[in-house]
Amino acid sequence: MSAKSLRARIRHSLADQTLQAALDGNAERRTTGRLKAFSTIPDYQERRKRAHAVKADVIAHLDEYLSRFINQATRNGFRVHRAADAKEAIRIFLQITQAHEARLVAKSKSMVSEELNFNHALEPAGIQVVETDLGEYIVQLRGERPSHILTPAVHLTRAQVGQLFHEKLGTPYTEDIPTMVATARRVLRQVFLTADIGVTGANFGVAETGTICLVTNEGNGRMVTTLPPVHVALMGIERLVPSMDDLALFLSLLPRSGTGQKLSSYTSLINSPKRLEDAYGPKERHLILVDNGRNAMRNSSLAEALSCIRCGACLNACPVFREIGGHAYVGEDGSIAPYPGPIGSVVSPGLFGCENFGQLSQASSLCGACQEACPVDIALPELLLRIRAGENPRNGRKMDEGVGLPAAVKFGLRAFRLAAASPLLFEAGQRMGGFFSRMVSPRKKYLHLPAWTGWGYSKDFPRLESAPFRARWKGMEQDIRPAVRQDREMEHPQAAVVPASPALADRFMEELQGIGAITCRLPEKDLPARLAKLLQERGIERVAVDDIGEKYVSGVQSVRIPDPTIWAGITGVLVGIAESGSLVLVSGEARPLTASLLPDIHIAIVRASDLVLTLAEALARPEIRAASASVIITGPSRTGDIEMALAIGVHGPKELHVFLID
Amino acid sequence: MPSTDTVQLFVTCLIDSFFPDIGQSIVHVLNRAGLRVEFPAAQTCCGQPAFNAGLRSQARPLAEHTIRVFEKTGGDIIIPSGSCGAMLRKGYLELFKDDPGWLARAQSLASRVYELTEYLVDVRGITDLGSRWPGKLTYHPSCHLLRSLGIDRQPRLLLSQVREAEIVELPDRLDCCGFGGVFSVEHPELSAEFLKRKISALERTASPSLVVCDTGCLMHIQGGLKRRGKNQQVLHIAQVLEAR
Repeated sequence: MSAKSLRARIRHSLADQTLQAALDGNAERRTTGRLKAFSTIPDYQERRKRAHAVKADVIAHLDEYLSRFINQATRNGFRVHRAADAKEAIRIFLQITQAHEARLVAKSKSMVSEELNFNHALEPAGIQVVETDLGEYIVQLRGERPSHILTPAVHLTRAQVGQLFHEKLGTPYTEDIPTMVATARRVLRQVFLTADIGVTGANFGVAETGTICLVTNEGNGRMVTTLPPVHVALMGIERLVPSMDDLALFLSLLPRSGTGQKLSSYTSLINSPKRLEDAYGPKERHLILVDNGRNAMRNSSLAEALSCIRCGACLNACPVFREIGGHAYVGEDGSIAPYPGPIGSVVSPGLFGCENFGQLSQASSLCGACQEACPVDIALPELLLRIRAGENPRNGRKMDEGVGLPAAVKFGLRAFRLAAASPLLFEAGQRMGGFFSRMVSPRKKYLHLPAWTGWGYSKDFPRLESAPFRARWKGMEQDIRPAVRQDREMEHPQAAVVPASPALADRFMEELQGIGAITCRLPEKDLPARLAKLLQERGIERVAVDDIGEKYVSGVQSVRIPDPTIWAGITGVLVGIAESGSLVLVSGEARPLTASLLPDIHIAIVRASDLVLTLAEALARPEIRAASASVIITGPSRTGDIEMALAIGVHGPKELHVFLID
Repeated sequence: MPSTDTVQLFVTCLIDSFFPDIGQSIVHVLNRAGLRVEFPAAQTCCGQPAFNAGLRSQARPLAEHTIRVFEKTGGDIIIPSGSCGAMLRKGYLELFKDDPGWLARAQSLASRVYELTEYLVDVRGITDLGSRWPGKLTYHPSCHLLRSLGIDRQPRLLLSQVREAEIVELPDRLDCCGFGGVFSVEHPELSAEFLKRKISALERTASPSLVVCDTGCLMHIQGGLKRRGKNQQVLHIAQVLEAR
C-alpha cells in the first residue's frame, strides 16, 4: 500500500482531529440548513421529481438542447466554442488570451476548471490566474485542491488561514475572520479592476434563451462577469435546462440544497456582451462548452449522474465524506479526484476512467443518504454499484467486475457463492462453520476476531449456530391464531398547514430582514429626504447611481461610471421577489450593474407595485431576456468559507438598504 | 395449493446461519397474525453480498436459484430484512436488466415480496400482536429498509402498540451503523467510525435494548457492543413482537 493510497488517506483523515471537527461542523450545519430551507416549500418532493424528469429529458436529448442553446447564445452575441477534452479547452482559452494579450485572469469558482487543471495548464504561457472565491483563493495560496465543491477550504481552521495570509500576503497574523475577509476584499478588488479576462463556470445554461446563470454569494461571480473587458465561461455540456421556467425550478432547489438559502446572494443571468446602449459591461463574452468524457458517460449506464447540479448536498449528507473530507478521494495513482463525495465517486470514474477512480465506488456503505439529499433524486447507490460491476464509460469496455475490491474479499465471495448455489452444500457449510466456531469459542456467542480480518478491527463476530434455522424448522409446530384486521386510523402526519400568505409587501420586508437587509417603507414623496439623511449620516458625498437612483438624490455628486472610490450606490429594481426578499436588476441604458456591486453600501428603491411573489414570476419578465445581463440580489455579499462562520461583505456590498415606496 | 393465508418465509442466510432463534420468533409472530408459514427448504442466499460488491456474475446464480425456489411456491413471500427485501424487489431488476426472460421472472417474484413489518401493517392491517415488553426500547431504521423500501412508519407503529414498552427516540437515528455488507470488512476504519457514533447514540438514550429490522445491522452493532464489553442488546423486531 503506497502512502498515497485510498486506505492511507482515510487513516490520515481519521487521525486529523482538526479536520474531524471541521467535517462534523460542516455536516451538521449544512444538513440542518438544508432541512430548514426545504421546510418553506411543502411541495419539495414533487419539485424534486420534476427536476429529475427535466434533467433526464435534457440528457436524453442533449444534442437537440445543445444546438438550441448554442444557436440562441450565438445570436445573443456569445462566441461559443466546443472543446472535446481538457487539452482543447485550454487551447481555445489560450487563443482568447493571445487575441487580447491577456496576462491576468480573475476567476470565480468553477468545477469544470478543476477537471481541466486550468490554472496549472496556463502557467507555462505566463498567464496568471487568480481565484477570487475566498475559499478557492485560500486553497490556491496553499497550492491545494478544493476539498469540497462548495466550501473549498472547509478542511482549514481560521488559525491556518490567518497564518497563510500572514505568510503569503504579509498582513499581521490574526484569527479574526472579518479582518481576514477584509484583507481578501482589498487584495482581490485590485485583481478585479486590473484583470484582462474574467473566467467563470456556469451553473445553468437556458436552452430557450441562450442565457447562462451563475450563482454566488460573495459577489466575485458578478465582478468577473462585469468588470474585465472579456468574460469567458467554462461550462460542461450537460448543464442545460430547457426554459426559464425550469431555471426557476432549479434555482428553488440549488441554494436550498447547497447552503440552506432560499436564493444565494447573487444570481446572475447573462445573455450577451455589452450592447451599445449598456452603461457598462464586457465587450466580449465567450462560452467554452466542455465535453471531456460527458458524451461517453451519457451513452453509458452512468448517464443519470449527468443530472447533477453540483449543490454539494450529497457530500454533506454522506457519512463517509464526513469522516474523510474531499482530499481523501484519490485514484489508484494517488491523485486527488476532481470531484469528491458520493457524486464524485460516480462522476470521477465516469469522466476520467474507472481504471484509476473506480475504487472510490467501494468507499460507500450504500446507506443512500446521498440520494435522499439529492435535489435531483440521482440514484447514487445504484450508480456506485454499476461502477463496482465494471461499467466504464471512458473507453466503453467493461472492466473486470468487482472494481476496487480486495482480492481476499473476491475470493471469499466466490467461495460463498459456490456453497450457496447448492442447498446441501450450504447446510453442510453452516454445520461445519457452527462446529468450528464452537470449538474456537465454546462459551462466548461472539468471537474476538483479529483486526486484520477487517471485521475484527472494531467488533466481535457472531458464532455460527451448529443447528441452523433450516434444521430447527423441521421440528417446529405452528400455532396459528385467527387474526383480526386492526386497520386503525394510522398516524398520518397532519398535512402541513400553509399559513395564509401575508400581503406581498409584508412578506418581502420580512424576508429581507431575515437575510440582513435594512428596510424602510415610506411614501415616495418622503424618499429624497430620507436618502439625503442616510447619506449625510454616513458622510457620503459621491454616489454611484442608475437612472432611478438619480431621480431621488440631491445635494451629493452622482456618477454613473464604475468608480471604486465611491462608497454608496443607489439603484432602482425591475421587480422585488417577496418569497425570498430578492431584488432583480437588469442592465441597460443608464443602468450599470456596477452601481449595486462595487460600493460598500447598496441602496435599492423598490416600488410596491413592482413586487411579485415567486422567482418564476420574476423570471418570466421579458426585460430579463432582453437585457445583456441581470442579477437577482438576495441580501448583502456573504461568505462562510472560513470555518463556515458567516462573514458579510466579501466582494460585493456589505450593507443592503431597501426602500419600499408606495 | 396454499390458501392466501399461507406465506412463504425467506428467512435470509444471516438468520438461518447465525440467528435461528430470530427465525423461530418470526414464525411465531406470523402465526399470531393468523398466517401459516412455509419454508422452502432449498433457499440459500439471495446473492446480495456479491451483488453489492460488484461481482454480478457471482450474484446471478444465487438470484436465479432463489427465483426458481420461490417460483415453485404460491402466495406472498416474507423477508425479515430490508436489505434482502431491496435486493429481491430492486436489485434483481438491475441484475437482470439486460435479460428479458429472467427480468420478467424477477419482476413477478418482486411483486410477491414483502418485508415483515410492511406485510403485517400494510397488507394484513395488523398493528397490535398482543406483545408485551417491559422497559425502554429504541429503534434504529436500517438504511435499505428506510431509503430503498421506504419502510419506517410500519415498524414504529408495531412498536408503539407493545404493552409496557417505553419507546425512546435514537439520536441521529438516520445515520448508517457502518455495516454495509463487505464495506464493514473492506473499509474497517470507516465502518468503525460509523459504529462508534451509533453506539454513542444508543448510550445517550439509556435504553438497554436497540430494535432493528435487519440482521446485518444487528450483528454489526451487537458485535461492536460485545467488543466494548457493553451489556446493551440488539434485538430483531420479531423478538420484541413475539414477547408477551
